[in-house]
Amino acid sequence: MSQKTILIVEDEIAMVEALSKKFEKEGFKVIEANDGEEGLRIAFEVKPDILMLDIIMPKMDGMELLKKIREDDKWGASVPIIMLTNLSDTDNVSEAAKFQVYDFLVKTDWRLDDVVNLVKQKLNI
Amino acid sequence: MKFSLKLADRILLIIMFFATIFVLISFFVIRGSLIQILMLGGLIYIISFLMTYFISRFFSRRVIKLNFKVQEMAAGNLSKRIKALKNDEIGQLTNSLNELMGRLQTGVAQDVSKHHELVKAKTDFVAIASHQLRTPLSIIKWYVDYLVAGDAGDINKEQEKYLKEVYKSNERLIELVNALLDVSRIDVGTFSIEPEPTDIIERAEAALEKFMPEIRAKEIHLIKEYSQFPLLELDPRLIRMVFHNIISNSVKYTPRKGTIKISIKKTERDIYIKISDTGCGIPREEQPKMFTKLFRGLNAKKLESVGTGLGLYIVKAIIEKSGGKIWFHSPSLELLLDAGKKDADIPLDKRNRGTTINITIPLKGMRKKPGSKKLNSSEY
Repeated sequence: MSQKTILIVEDEIAMVEALSKKFEKEGFKVIEANDGEEGLRIAFEVKPDILMLDIIMPKMDGMELLKKIREDDKWGASVPIIMLTNLSDTDNVSEAAKFQVYDFLVKTDWRLDDVVNLVKQKLNI
Repeated sequence: MKFSLKLADRILLIIMFFATIFVLISFFVIRGSLIQILMLGGLIYIISFLMTYFISRFFSRRVIKLNFKVQEMAAGNLSKRIKALKNDEIGQLTNSLNELMGRLQTGVAQDVSKHHELVKAKTDFVAIASHQLRTPLSIIKWYVDYLVAGDAGDINKEQEKYLKEVYKSNERLIELVNALLDVSRIDVGTFSIEPEPTDIIERAEAALEKFMPEIRAKEIHLIKEYSQFPLLELDPRLIRMVFHNIISNSVKYTPRKGTIKISIKKTERDIYIKISDTGCGIPREEQPKMFTKLFRGLNAKKLESVGTGLGLYIVKAIIEKSGGKIWFHSPSLELLLDAGKKDADIPLDKRNRGTTINITIPLKGMRKKPGSKKLNSSEY
Protein backbone atom coordinates (compact mmCIF):
# COMPACT_ATOMS: atom_id res chain seq x y z
CA MET A 1 0.00 0.00 0.00
CA SER A 2 1.46 3.32 -1.03
CA GLN A 3 1.41 6.18 1.45
CA LYS A 4 -1.72 8.28 1.15
CA THR A 5 -1.60 12.07 1.23
CA ILE A 6 -4.15 14.09 3.18
CA LEU A 7 -4.54 17.85 3.02
CA ILE A 8 -6.06 19.48 6.10
CA VAL A 9 -7.24 23.06 5.64
CA GLU A 10 -8.13 24.57 9.02
CA ASP A 11 -7.31 27.95 10.55
CA GLU A 12 -7.18 26.78 14.15
CA ILE A 13 -3.52 25.76 14.57
CA ALA A 14 -4.09 23.58 17.63
CA MET A 15 -6.76 21.64 15.80
CA VAL A 16 -4.63 21.06 12.71
CA GLU A 17 -1.82 19.88 14.98
CA ALA A 18 -4.00 17.31 16.73
CA LEU A 19 -5.32 15.97 13.43
CA SER A 20 -1.99 15.87 11.65
CA LYS A 21 -0.19 14.15 14.56
CA LYS A 22 -2.88 11.51 14.61
CA PHE A 23 -2.82 10.94 10.85
CA GLU A 24 0.97 10.82 10.78
CA LYS A 25 0.85 8.13 13.45
CA GLU A 26 -1.56 6.24 11.22
CA GLY A 27 0.94 6.38 8.37
CA PHE A 28 -0.46 9.21 6.28
CA LYS A 29 1.50 11.98 4.65
CA VAL A 30 -0.09 15.12 6.06
CA ILE A 31 -0.02 18.56 4.47
CA GLU A 32 -1.45 21.54 6.34
CA ALA A 33 -2.93 24.82 5.18
CA ASN A 34 -4.23 27.54 7.46
CA ASP A 35 -6.63 29.44 5.25
CA GLY A 36 -8.72 28.87 2.16
CA GLU A 37 -6.42 30.55 -0.35
CA GLU A 38 -3.38 28.67 0.85
CA GLY A 39 -5.46 25.50 0.79
CA LEU A 40 -6.47 26.07 -2.81
CA ARG A 41 -2.89 26.71 -3.94
CA ILE A 42 -1.51 23.66 -2.17
CA ALA A 43 -4.41 21.46 -3.27
CA PHE A 44 -3.64 21.98 -6.96
CA GLU A 45 0.13 21.74 -6.39
CA VAL A 46 0.05 18.47 -4.48
CA LYS A 47 -3.22 16.90 -5.61
CA PRO A 48 -3.71 14.94 -2.35
CA ASP A 49 -5.73 11.70 -2.10
CA ILE A 50 -8.24 13.23 0.29
CA LEU A 51 -9.04 16.66 1.74
CA MET A 52 -10.50 17.86 5.01
CA LEU A 53 -11.84 21.40 4.90
CA ASP A 54 -12.93 23.58 7.76
CA ILE A 55 -15.89 25.79 6.82
CA ILE A 56 -15.28 29.04 8.69
CA MET A 57 -11.83 30.28 7.68
CA PRO A 58 -10.20 33.60 6.84
CA LYS A 59 -9.60 34.73 3.24
CA MET A 60 -11.67 31.98 1.63
CA ASP A 61 -14.16 29.79 3.44
CA GLY A 62 -14.43 26.05 3.10
CA MET A 63 -17.56 26.10 0.95
CA GLU A 64 -15.93 28.34 -1.63
CA LEU A 65 -12.76 26.29 -1.58
CA LEU A 66 -14.89 23.20 -2.18
CA LYS A 67 -16.51 24.83 -5.23
CA LYS A 68 -13.14 25.90 -6.64
CA ILE A 69 -11.76 22.38 -6.31
CA ARG A 70 -14.80 20.81 -7.94
CA GLU A 71 -14.48 23.22 -10.88
CA ASP A 72 -11.38 21.30 -11.93
CA ASP A 73 -12.53 18.56 -14.29
CA LYS A 74 -9.80 15.99 -13.64
CA TRP A 75 -8.41 15.51 -10.16
CA GLY A 76 -10.72 17.98 -8.36
CA ALA A 77 -13.93 16.56 -9.77
CA SER A 78 -13.72 13.28 -7.91
CA VAL A 79 -11.27 13.64 -5.00
CA PRO A 80 -12.96 12.69 -1.71
CA ILE A 81 -13.63 15.68 0.53
CA ILE A 82 -14.71 15.79 4.16
CA MET A 83 -16.06 19.01 5.64
CA LEU A 84 -15.10 19.94 9.18
CA THR A 85 -17.65 22.03 10.99
CA ASN A 86 -18.75 23.32 14.33
CA LEU A 87 -22.45 23.08 13.77
CA SER A 88 -24.54 21.43 11.15
CA ASP A 89 -26.29 23.98 9.08
CA THR A 90 -28.87 22.69 6.63
CA ASP A 91 -28.00 25.29 4.01
CA ASN A 92 -24.37 24.25 3.82
CA VAL A 93 -25.19 20.55 3.95
CA SER A 94 -27.50 20.75 0.94
CA GLU A 95 -25.10 23.10 -0.83
CA ALA A 96 -22.22 20.67 -0.35
CA ALA A 97 -24.35 17.74 -1.54
CA LYS A 98 -24.47 19.44 -4.95
CA PHE A 99 -20.71 18.91 -5.07
CA GLN A 100 -20.87 15.24 -4.06
CA VAL A 101 -19.78 15.95 -0.50
CA TYR A 102 -21.87 14.08 2.04
CA ASP A 103 -19.51 13.96 5.00
CA PHE A 104 -20.05 16.73 7.47
CA LEU A 105 -18.04 16.10 10.53
CA VAL A 106 -19.15 18.07 13.56
CA LYS A 107 -15.87 18.36 15.40
CA THR A 108 -17.14 18.14 18.96
CA ASP A 109 -18.97 14.88 18.24
CA TRP A 110 -16.07 12.91 16.78
CA ARG A 111 -13.23 11.14 18.49
CA LEU A 112 -9.91 11.22 16.69
CA ASP A 113 -10.05 7.47 16.06
CA ASP A 114 -13.43 7.80 14.39
CA VAL A 115 -12.12 10.61 12.19
CA VAL A 116 -9.27 8.36 11.07
CA ASN A 117 -11.71 5.52 10.41
CA LEU A 118 -13.89 7.74 8.27
CA VAL A 119 -10.93 8.83 6.19
CA LYS A 120 -9.76 5.23 5.76
CA GLN A 121 -13.25 4.20 4.73
CA LYS A 122 -13.34 6.98 2.13
CA LEU A 123 -10.05 5.75 0.71
CA ASN A 124 -11.06 2.09 0.91
CA ILE A 125 -8.23 1.13 3.24
CA MET B 1 -52.95 80.28 -2.96
CA LYS B 2 -55.34 79.43 -5.71
CA PHE B 3 -58.90 80.46 -4.97
CA SER B 4 -61.39 77.61 -5.27
CA LEU B 5 -64.95 77.31 -4.09
CA LYS B 6 -66.01 74.50 -1.85
CA LEU B 7 -68.28 71.93 -3.48
CA ALA B 8 -71.18 72.62 -1.13
CA ASP B 9 -70.80 76.36 -1.75
CA ARG B 10 -70.87 75.76 -5.45
CA ILE B 11 -74.12 73.79 -5.20
CA LEU B 12 -75.67 76.50 -3.06
CA LEU B 13 -74.54 79.22 -5.48
CA ILE B 14 -75.97 77.43 -8.51
CA ILE B 15 -79.35 76.92 -6.79
CA MET B 16 -79.42 80.52 -5.61
CA PHE B 17 -78.57 81.67 -9.11
CA PHE B 18 -81.42 79.71 -10.74
CA ALA B 19 -83.91 80.61 -8.04
CA THR B 20 -83.13 84.32 -8.43
CA ILE B 21 -83.55 84.12 -12.23
CA PHE B 22 -86.91 82.39 -11.90
CA VAL B 23 -88.19 84.86 -9.37
CA LEU B 24 -87.00 87.82 -11.49
CA ILE B 25 -88.61 86.35 -14.63
CA SER B 26 -91.92 85.80 -12.86
CA PHE B 27 -91.89 89.36 -11.57
CA PHE B 28 -90.74 91.41 -14.48
CA VAL B 29 -91.35 89.36 -17.64
CA ILE B 30 -94.58 87.51 -16.92
CA ARG B 31 -95.91 89.90 -14.30
CA GLY B 32 -97.76 86.92 -12.97
CA SER B 33 -100.27 86.57 -10.25
CA LEU B 34 -99.62 85.17 -6.82
CA ILE B 35 -100.63 81.68 -7.94
CA GLN B 36 -98.19 81.79 -10.82
CA ILE B 37 -95.41 82.89 -8.49
CA LEU B 38 -96.25 80.10 -6.09
CA MET B 39 -96.22 77.61 -8.96
CA LEU B 40 -92.85 78.93 -9.98
CA GLY B 41 -91.70 78.53 -6.41
CA GLY B 42 -92.76 74.87 -6.66
CA LEU B 43 -90.84 74.53 -9.89
CA ILE B 44 -87.75 76.00 -8.30
CA TYR B 45 -88.17 73.53 -5.47
CA ILE B 46 -88.31 70.60 -7.90
CA ILE B 47 -85.39 71.84 -9.97
CA SER B 48 -83.21 72.45 -6.96
CA PHE B 49 -84.14 69.03 -5.65
CA LEU B 50 -83.16 67.40 -8.93
CA MET B 51 -79.94 69.37 -9.15
CA THR B 52 -78.92 68.55 -5.62
CA TYR B 53 -79.73 64.93 -6.34
CA PHE B 54 -77.52 64.81 -9.42
CA ILE B 55 -74.72 66.75 -7.85
CA SER B 56 -74.64 64.60 -4.75
CA ARG B 57 -74.77 61.49 -6.91
CA PHE B 58 -71.81 62.74 -8.87
CA PHE B 59 -70.13 63.55 -5.59
CA SER B 60 -70.75 60.19 -3.97
CA ARG B 61 -69.73 58.32 -7.11
CA ARG B 62 -66.32 59.94 -6.81
CA VAL B 63 -66.16 59.07 -3.12
CA ILE B 64 -67.09 55.47 -3.84
CA LYS B 65 -64.43 55.25 -6.54
CA LEU B 66 -61.89 56.71 -4.15
CA ASN B 67 -62.95 54.22 -1.51
CA PHE B 68 -62.29 51.31 -3.86
CA LYS B 69 -58.78 52.51 -4.42
CA VAL B 70 -58.17 53.06 -0.72
CA GLN B 71 -59.37 49.54 -0.03
CA GLU B 72 -56.90 48.22 -2.55
CA MET B 73 -54.14 50.06 -0.70
CA ALA B 74 -55.37 48.77 2.63
CA ALA B 75 -55.19 45.24 1.24
CA GLY B 76 -51.46 45.72 0.93
CA ASN B 77 -50.77 47.44 -2.36
CA LEU B 78 -48.79 50.15 -0.65
CA SER B 79 -47.16 51.43 -3.82
CA LYS B 80 -50.50 52.41 -5.39
CA ARG B 81 -51.12 56.13 -5.88
CA ILE B 82 -54.41 57.79 -6.80
CA LYS B 83 -54.56 60.45 -9.49
CA ALA B 84 -56.36 63.60 -8.31
CA LEU B 85 -58.62 64.79 -11.17
CA LYS B 86 -59.71 68.08 -9.64
CA ASN B 87 -58.41 70.37 -7.00
CA ASP B 88 -61.60 70.29 -4.87
CA GLU B 89 -61.99 68.62 -1.46
CA ILE B 90 -61.95 65.16 -2.96
CA GLY B 91 -58.85 66.07 -4.91
CA GLN B 92 -57.21 67.32 -1.72
CA LEU B 93 -58.26 64.21 0.16
CA THR B 94 -56.71 62.15 -2.60
CA ASN B 95 -53.45 64.03 -2.34
CA SER B 96 -53.35 63.62 1.43
CA LEU B 97 -54.01 59.92 1.05
CA ASN B 98 -51.16 59.63 -1.41
CA GLU B 99 -48.85 61.35 1.00
CA LEU B 100 -49.98 59.13 3.86
CA MET B 101 -49.35 56.03 1.77
CA GLY B 102 -45.91 57.27 0.90
CA ARG B 103 -44.99 57.68 4.54
CA LEU B 104 -46.59 54.39 5.50
CA GLN B 105 -44.70 52.60 2.80
CA THR B 106 -41.30 53.77 3.92
CA GLY B 107 -42.28 53.27 7.57
CA VAL B 108 -43.50 49.73 7.09
CA ALA B 109 -40.54 48.86 4.91
CA GLN B 110 -38.18 50.09 7.60
CA ASP B 111 -40.05 48.17 10.24
CA VAL B 112 -39.97 44.91 8.33
CA SER B 113 -36.29 45.19 7.51
CA LYS B 114 -35.53 46.07 11.11
CA HIS B 115 -37.36 42.94 12.21
CA HIS B 116 -35.37 40.82 9.76
CA GLU B 117 -32.16 42.37 10.99
CA LEU B 118 -33.04 41.53 14.56
CA VAL B 119 -33.81 37.90 13.78
CA LYS B 120 -30.63 37.65 11.75
CA ALA B 121 -28.59 39.22 14.53
CA LYS B 122 -30.01 36.66 16.94
CA THR B 123 -29.21 33.69 14.68
CA ASP B 124 -25.81 35.11 13.84
CA PHE B 125 -25.10 35.38 17.52
CA VAL B 126 -25.95 31.75 18.02
CA ALA B 127 -23.80 30.68 15.10
CA ILE B 128 -20.86 32.74 16.27
CA ALA B 129 -21.20 31.84 19.93
CA SER B 130 -21.44 28.16 19.17
CA HIS B 131 -18.45 28.37 16.86
CA GLN B 132 -16.39 30.19 19.46
CA LEU B 133 -17.45 27.78 22.20
CA ARG B 134 -17.11 24.61 20.23
CA THR B 135 -13.68 25.22 18.77
CA PRO B 136 -11.84 25.11 22.11
CA LEU B 137 -14.09 22.26 23.24
CA SER B 138 -13.11 20.08 20.30
CA ILE B 139 -9.46 20.99 20.72
CA ILE B 140 -9.61 19.80 24.34
CA LYS B 141 -11.48 16.71 23.28
CA TRP B 142 -8.96 15.73 20.63
CA TYR B 143 -5.84 16.35 22.68
CA VAL B 144 -7.16 14.45 25.68
CA ASP B 145 -8.15 11.69 23.30
CA TYR B 146 -4.67 11.75 21.88
CA LEU B 147 -3.07 11.53 25.33
CA VAL B 148 -5.38 8.82 26.64
CA ALA B 149 -4.75 6.69 23.55
CA GLY B 150 -1.06 6.83 24.46
CA ASP B 151 -0.18 8.42 21.13
CA ALA B 152 2.01 11.02 22.84
CA GLY B 153 3.83 8.47 24.96
CA ASP B 154 2.86 6.16 27.81
CA ILE B 155 0.85 7.56 30.69
CA ASN B 156 0.41 5.96 34.09
CA LYS B 157 -2.86 4.79 35.58
CA GLU B 158 -3.35 7.87 37.70
CA GLN B 159 -2.77 10.22 34.78
CA GLU B 160 -5.18 8.22 32.70
CA LYS B 161 -7.83 8.46 35.41
CA TYR B 162 -7.53 12.24 35.62
CA LEU B 163 -7.48 12.67 31.87
CA LYS B 164 -10.68 10.67 31.64
CA GLU B 165 -12.25 13.03 34.18
CA VAL B 166 -11.20 15.97 31.99
CA TYR B 167 -12.72 14.21 29.01
CA LYS B 168 -16.00 13.56 30.85
CA SER B 169 -16.34 17.17 31.99
CA ASN B 170 -15.56 18.36 28.51
CA GLU B 171 -18.32 16.11 27.12
CA ARG B 172 -20.68 17.70 29.62
CA LEU B 173 -19.76 21.13 28.36
CA ILE B 174 -20.29 20.03 24.76
CA GLU B 175 -23.72 18.70 25.71
CA LEU B 176 -24.58 21.98 27.41
CA VAL B 177 -23.52 24.03 24.38
CA ASN B 178 -25.60 21.76 22.14
CA ALA B 179 -28.63 22.14 24.38
CA LEU B 180 -28.24 25.93 24.54
CA LEU B 181 -27.96 26.05 20.78
CA ASP B 182 -31.18 24.03 20.48
CA VAL B 183 -32.97 26.30 22.91
CA SER B 184 -31.92 29.34 20.98
CA ARG B 185 -33.09 27.75 17.72
CA ILE B 186 -36.41 27.06 19.38
CA ASP B 187 -36.68 30.62 20.70
CA VAL B 188 -35.74 32.21 17.40
CA GLY B 189 -38.03 29.77 15.61
CA THR B 190 -35.50 28.68 13.00
CA PHE B 191 -35.62 24.95 13.70
CA SER B 192 -37.22 22.66 11.16
CA ILE B 193 -39.51 19.64 11.53
CA GLU B 194 -39.07 17.23 8.64
CA PRO B 195 -41.46 14.28 8.87
CA GLU B 196 -40.75 11.10 6.92
CA PRO B 197 -42.01 7.51 7.29
CA THR B 198 -40.56 6.41 10.61
CA ASP B 199 -40.74 3.36 12.84
CA ILE B 200 -41.52 4.90 16.20
CA ILE B 201 -40.70 1.77 18.21
CA GLU B 202 -37.29 1.53 16.57
CA ARG B 203 -36.67 5.19 17.47
CA ALA B 204 -37.61 4.58 21.11
CA GLU B 205 -35.34 1.55 21.23
CA ALA B 206 -32.49 3.49 19.64
CA ALA B 207 -32.78 6.16 22.33
CA LEU B 208 -33.06 3.54 25.08
CA GLU B 209 -29.98 1.71 23.81
CA LYS B 210 -27.71 4.51 24.98
CA PHE B 211 -28.94 4.18 28.57
CA MET B 212 -28.85 0.38 28.82
CA PRO B 213 -25.45 0.24 30.54
CA GLU B 214 -26.68 2.60 33.26
CA ILE B 215 -30.04 0.83 33.56
CA ARG B 216 -28.25 -2.49 34.04
CA ALA B 217 -25.75 -1.00 36.47
CA LYS B 218 -28.55 0.42 38.63
CA GLU B 219 -30.57 -2.79 38.27
CA ILE B 220 -33.57 -0.80 37.16
CA HIS B 221 -36.61 -2.87 36.29
CA LEU B 222 -37.62 -1.93 32.74
CA ILE B 223 -41.15 -2.51 31.49
CA LYS B 224 -42.03 -1.97 27.82
CA GLU B 225 -45.52 -1.96 26.37
CA TYR B 226 -45.65 -1.33 22.64
CA SER B 227 -48.56 -1.43 20.19
CA GLN B 228 -47.95 -2.40 16.59
CA PHE B 229 -47.45 0.68 14.43
CA PRO B 230 -47.18 1.16 10.70
CA LEU B 231 -44.55 3.66 9.52
CA LEU B 232 -45.66 7.10 10.70
CA GLU B 233 -44.84 10.55 9.38
CA LEU B 234 -42.41 11.68 12.10
CA ASP B 235 -39.14 13.53 12.16
CA PRO B 236 -36.85 10.63 13.11
CA ARG B 237 -34.20 12.82 14.75
CA LEU B 238 -36.65 14.86 16.77
CA ILE B 239 -38.68 11.91 17.98
CA ARG B 240 -35.51 10.19 19.11
CA MET B 241 -34.49 13.36 20.89
CA VAL B 242 -37.83 13.39 22.72
CA PHE B 243 -37.30 9.81 23.92
CA HIS B 244 -33.67 10.53 24.72
CA ASN B 245 -34.39 13.54 26.91
CA ILE B 246 -37.23 11.92 28.85
CA ILE B 247 -35.52 8.56 29.38
CA SER B 248 -32.37 10.40 30.39
CA ASN B 249 -34.28 12.07 33.24
CA SER B 250 -35.94 8.83 34.30
CA VAL B 251 -32.66 6.95 34.43
CA LYS B 252 -30.91 9.78 36.23
CA TYR B 253 -33.46 10.20 39.02
CA THR B 254 -34.68 6.64 39.51
CA PRO B 255 -32.87 4.96 42.42
CA ARG B 256 -31.28 1.53 42.34
CA LYS B 257 -33.79 -1.28 41.76
CA GLY B 258 -36.45 1.23 40.80
CA THR B 259 -38.82 0.83 37.86
CA ILE B 260 -39.13 2.57 34.50
CA LYS B 261 -42.07 1.84 32.25
CA ILE B 262 -42.24 2.87 28.61
CA SER B 263 -45.59 2.51 26.94
CA ILE B 264 -46.30 3.45 23.32
CA LYS B 265 -49.94 2.77 22.47
CA LYS B 266 -52.25 3.54 19.62
CA THR B 267 -55.47 5.36 20.44
CA GLU B 268 -58.21 6.31 18.02
CA ARG B 269 -56.40 9.36 16.65
CA ASP B 270 -53.09 9.55 18.45
CA ILE B 271 -49.87 7.86 19.33
CA TYR B 272 -49.95 7.83 23.13
CA ILE B 273 -46.51 7.73 24.73
CA LYS B 274 -46.26 7.29 28.47
CA ILE B 275 -42.96 7.13 30.28
CA SER B 276 -43.17 6.48 34.02
CA ASP B 277 -40.56 6.06 36.69
CA THR B 278 -40.23 5.63 40.42
CA GLY B 279 -37.73 8.47 40.66
CA CYS B 280 -37.69 11.40 43.02
CA GLY B 281 -40.65 13.09 41.32
CA ILE B 282 -41.33 16.80 41.12
CA PRO B 283 -42.31 18.67 44.29
CA ARG B 284 -45.86 19.98 43.97
CA GLU B 285 -44.90 23.60 44.52
CA GLU B 286 -42.39 23.42 41.68
CA GLN B 287 -44.64 21.68 39.18
CA PRO B 288 -45.84 24.82 37.39
CA LYS B 289 -42.24 25.52 36.38
CA MET B 290 -41.67 22.01 35.07
CA PHE B 291 -41.34 22.88 31.37
CA THR B 292 -39.58 26.22 31.72
CA LYS B 293 -36.03 26.86 30.64
CA LEU B 294 -33.32 25.90 33.15
CA PHE B 295 -35.80 24.41 35.62
CA ARG B 296 -34.46 21.71 37.87
CA GLY B 297 -36.32 20.41 40.88
CA LEU B 298 -34.70 21.21 44.24
CA ASN B 299 -34.82 17.53 45.17
CA ALA B 300 -33.31 16.63 41.80
CA LYS B 301 -30.43 19.05 42.28
CA LYS B 302 -29.60 17.45 45.63
CA LEU B 303 -29.66 14.02 44.07
CA GLU B 304 -27.63 14.71 40.96
CA SER B 305 -25.51 17.73 40.19
CA VAL B 306 -25.30 17.06 36.46
CA GLY B 307 -28.12 18.43 34.37
CA THR B 308 -28.81 21.40 32.16
CA GLY B 309 -32.48 21.98 32.91
CA LEU B 310 -33.11 22.31 29.20
CA GLY B 311 -34.21 18.80 28.21
CA LEU B 312 -37.93 19.05 28.89
CA TYR B 313 -38.14 22.59 27.54
CA ILE B 314 -36.81 21.25 24.24
CA VAL B 315 -39.16 18.25 24.34
CA LYS B 316 -42.17 20.46 24.94
CA ALA B 317 -41.24 22.75 22.05
CA ILE B 318 -40.79 19.81 19.67
CA ILE B 319 -44.08 18.17 20.65
CA GLU B 320 -46.17 21.32 20.60
CA LYS B 321 -44.71 22.67 17.36
CA SER B 322 -45.44 19.37 15.66
CA GLY B 323 -49.09 19.33 16.73
CA GLY B 324 -48.90 17.07 19.79
CA LYS B 325 -49.58 17.47 23.51
CA ILE B 326 -47.48 16.85 26.58
CA TRP B 327 -48.39 16.70 30.27
CA PHE B 328 -47.22 14.92 33.40
CA HIS B 329 -48.21 13.52 36.76
CA SER B 330 -46.09 13.48 39.84
CA PRO B 331 -46.53 11.43 41.95
CA SER B 332 -46.79 8.94 39.12
CA LEU B 333 -50.16 7.21 39.25
CA GLU B 334 -48.79 4.52 36.99
CA LEU B 335 -46.21 3.08 39.36
CA LEU B 336 -47.53 4.44 42.65
CA LEU B 337 -48.57 1.06 44.00
CA ASP B 338 -45.35 -0.48 42.85
CA ALA B 339 -43.27 2.21 44.52
CA GLY B 340 -45.45 2.15 47.60
CA LYS B 341 -44.76 -1.52 48.23
CA LYS B 342 -41.03 -1.08 48.02
CA ASP B 343 -40.94 2.04 50.16
CA ALA B 344 -43.29 0.77 52.84
CA ASP B 345 -40.74 1.37 55.56
CA ILE B 346 -39.86 4.92 54.43
CA PRO B 347 -41.90 7.82 55.84
CA LEU B 348 -44.52 9.07 53.37
CA ASP B 349 -42.96 12.44 52.62
CA LYS B 350 -39.52 10.93 52.01
CA ARG B 351 -40.71 8.37 49.48
CA ASN B 352 -39.87 8.60 45.84
CA ARG B 353 -43.01 9.83 44.27
CA GLY B 354 -42.19 9.08 40.67
CA THR B 355 -43.16 10.90 37.50
CA THR B 356 -45.20 10.02 34.45
CA ILE B 357 -44.70 12.02 31.27
CA ASN B 358 -47.57 11.71 28.80
CA ILE B 359 -47.28 12.65 25.15
CA THR B 360 -49.73 12.41 22.30
CA ILE B 361 -48.81 12.87 18.65
CA PRO B 362 -51.51 12.67 15.96
CA LEU B 363 -51.43 9.34 14.07
CA LYS B 364 -51.39 11.31 10.85
CA GLY B 365 -47.93 12.46 11.85
CA MET B 366 -45.96 15.49 12.94
CA ARG B 367 -46.78 18.84 11.41
CA LYS B 368 -44.11 19.89 8.92
CA LYS B 369 -42.25 23.05 9.87
CA PRO B 370 -39.86 24.65 7.45
CA GLY B 371 -36.77 26.15 9.02
CA SER B 372 -33.16 26.80 8.26
CA LYS B 373 -31.65 24.88 11.17
CA LYS B 374 -31.92 21.38 12.54
CA LEU B 375 -32.15 20.82 16.25
CA ASN B 376 -29.12 19.20 17.76
CA SER B 377 -26.62 19.06 15.00
CA SER B 378 -25.55 15.50 15.53
CA GLU B 379 -26.15 12.25 17.31
CA TYR B 380 -29.84 11.90 16.65
